[in-house]
Amino acid sequence: MKKFTYMFLGLMLLLAVAACSNGSGGAESDGGNAGNEESDGSETSDTVETGEVDTSVEATGDEDVVLEFWIHQTGEDETNAYIELIDDFNKEHEDIHVNAEVIIDDGASAYSDSINAALVAGNLPDVMAIDGPYLSSFADAGVIQPIDDYVDQETVDQYVDSIIQQGTYQDQLYSLGAMEASVMLYYNKDILEEEGIEPAHSLDEAWSWDELLENSKKMTTEDRYGLNLFMNYGVGEWLTFMGAPLVWSNGGDLISEDGKEVDGYLNSPETLEALNYVKELFAEGVVTESPGEMQFEEGKAALALGGPWIAVSAEEAGINWGMMPYPYKDEKVSPSGSMAYAITTNTENPEEATELMKWMTNEEATIKISEATGMPPAQESAFESMDKFNELPWSVMKEQVIETAHARPSTPAYPVLTDAFAQSFHAAALGEDVESVVEQQVSRVERELKRFNK
Amino acid sequence: MKGNDSSAEKLENERHFHQTAKKPQLKPTPPPRKKRKLKSQAFREAMTGYFFLAPALVLLGVFLLYPMGAAFYYSFTDFYILTPDDVSFIGLENFKYIVEDAQFRQAFWNTVYFSVIVVPVQLSVALGLALLINKKLRFRVFFRTAFFSPVVMSLVVVSILWTFMYNPNEGLINQLLQTVGIPPQPFLTSPDQAMNSIIVMSVWQGAGFQMMIFLAGLQNIPNHLYEAADIDGASSWQKFWHITLPGLRNIALFIFITISIAAFKLLVQPMIMTQGGPLGTTKSLVYHIYETGFNYRDVGYASAMAVVFTVIVLVITIIQRVLIKEERG
Repeated sequence: MKKFTYMFLGLMLLLAVAACSNGSGGAESDGGNAGNEESDGSETSDTVETGEVDTSVEATGDEDVVLEFWIHQTGEDETNAYIELIDDFNKEHEDIHVNAEVIIDDGASAYSDSINAALVAGNLPDVMAIDGPYLSSFADAGVIQPIDDYVDQETVDQYVDSIIQQGTYQDQLYSLGAMEASVMLYYNKDILEEEGIEPAHSLDEAWSWDELLENSKKMTTEDRYGLNLFMNYGVGEWLTFMGAPLVWSNGGDLISEDGKEVDGYLNSPETLEALNYVKELFAEGVVTESPGEMQFEEGKAALALGGPWIAVSAEEAGINWGMMPYPYKDEKVSPSGSMAYAITTNTENPEEATELMKWMTNEEATIKISEATGMPPAQESAFESMDKFNELPWSVMKEQVIETAHARPSTPAYPVLTDAFAQSFHAAALGEDVESVVEQQVSRVERELKRFNK
Repeated sequence: MKGNDSSAEKLENERHFHQTAKKPQLKPTPPPRKKRKLKSQAFREAMTGYFFLAPALVLLGVFLLYPMGAAFYYSFTDFYILTPDDVSFIGLENFKYIVEDAQFRQAFWNTVYFSVIVVPVQLSVALGLALLINKKLRFRVFFRTAFFSPVVMSLVVVSILWTFMYNPNEGLINQLLQTVGIPPQPFLTSPDQAMNSIIVMSVWQGAGFQMMIFLAGLQNIPNHLYEAADIDGASSWQKFWHITLPGLRNIALFIFITISIAAFKLLVQPMIMTQGGPLGTTKSLVYHIYETGFNYRDVGYASAMAVVFTVIVLVITIIQRVLIKEERG
């Protein structure tokens, strides 16, 4: 018996250690599901469990319409905000009842696995949350339906352009979202002051590529990097989300406008130049491909190109931080896109389903969700009503989201395209020959495109 | 002993009880002829057999045979997850692409490299640990627990922990290296080192399990052989070579086959630690199949690769079986 006692104690100890480290490590994610980033950073303890949600309003049974609604589960505050909104909707609409189901979204594939399974089994809900750039593939396959008939132009105009851009496929509107996302150039005020470098306080003052490289070099020391690109998030959506604006800013693109042609876009001189700029950043040693989780927050990087959640963790870490617009080459563009809602072709009540979508993304809702998640709202008027966005540093993010946000490419081949770009970006970071890697990736995307270009 | 007696008695009673209880049930339909009686009884026995087999057969069918059959069928189609109602037969298209697919080729050689290194290394490490622990050392129980505990931990958890330990800037291993003057190593981010780093971690995680099996084998080797060898004046190396190793042969072969198959199924470590990178150097076959099917939704092509993968594993197993038979003869 003694043996087992030892073994048991040893195991418990190991598991405890494992559980701790796991908790602090699991909070990272990619840009595509940028909504994952919780307002309380590393300590995301979710009390809302996956599954049917206990909303406080019960169905009475005599509603005309019952809507099934899937939302992604990322963090407690965010999910609670959704549940409150759904409760209000049920109270407000006597004839409609919404049954919400919360499905875990781990930033990897858990949520999309659930959608895939339901799709094959033919059990999709009426309304579901989907990741912005994946919309085209769902629309192309006829999984979701256009909502132009149920949404008037006035409503559409209330959203920031990038969210409508993200929700449109082949000139038809498919989705509405409550959240935007962005990538800001965060800076450590103390380090910039020390080195006598002046940060940008508005979009007009945004740094160019050269300024970014020069200043990063200046601030790189023996035990500090000039820049952090959050390569620790892994080779995934983050690299496309954060990195694609470099290509756009240089006049390039990842794929043709109609999303059907990749040769001449992903491997265009403009794209290669952008990737070679990335290569240079790494070659100069101003950024590392394996930063620690909290490199910027610990003052070990002077600048960081990160999502809105970095503001939250930097604040928590107690460093003196600020944010600048995304750096540019020719045109000023910035990352955009987040989870949004769409109605499936399964639904028998598209009008009511659209009503629910509008409710979940109206000004009041976007403010509520922005407050819960720290992400920028998707309604322009919400920026005006939230004091935070009308003063520095958040005013920079507001300006950027409204003026320069650029949705990711709209193509049904997006899942392969994004990986192709992420692989190319990563190869550039490792100092590989960008051209040959990109050519290989182009042929991969071309094979995928054949499926849709019949 | 007393307890045993009474339980035996109880068993006897129960049996008795069952016999008396069942008798009336057997009687009601007395068959007219002896021959038919035998036949129907055999039939009934067979049916009872199948009845008991049924749960296992149903589970096997639903979770193994049906998916295998479905994968085989889909491997000839262009099944795309988003359009499950629009599946067309495309013949050998998928299999043709496997030949062209640079990623498949890379994943195949990555997997072969992993297996060729992991199998002998893990086997030797497990044997070494078992030999150490079989000695009457102090703290033997502690060491045994320490060596075995990684096996009980979830592979996902272990992978995350090692990812932290391998971190070039803040990781434990690199900090230790720095104290002896070695510069930080990009364990998981360098194309040259990533797979080897995964191999080291995999051996550490897996060897404890095989160690336990070896340990059981070691304790099965009769002690009188060693005593006889001592009398003959054999050295400890001779004892190991002529007594221990032959005594462990069958166990070693069993372990060899199980490690080989497990190594070929490499998935979790690269998925968690490197996402198959850098530059695809740690992408395994199973991971490539998973990504194709789930991330890129190309179930048709993923199924084709799964079929090829199954054939590869089957061939390896058959080759190993043939070799084992020869050694026995």
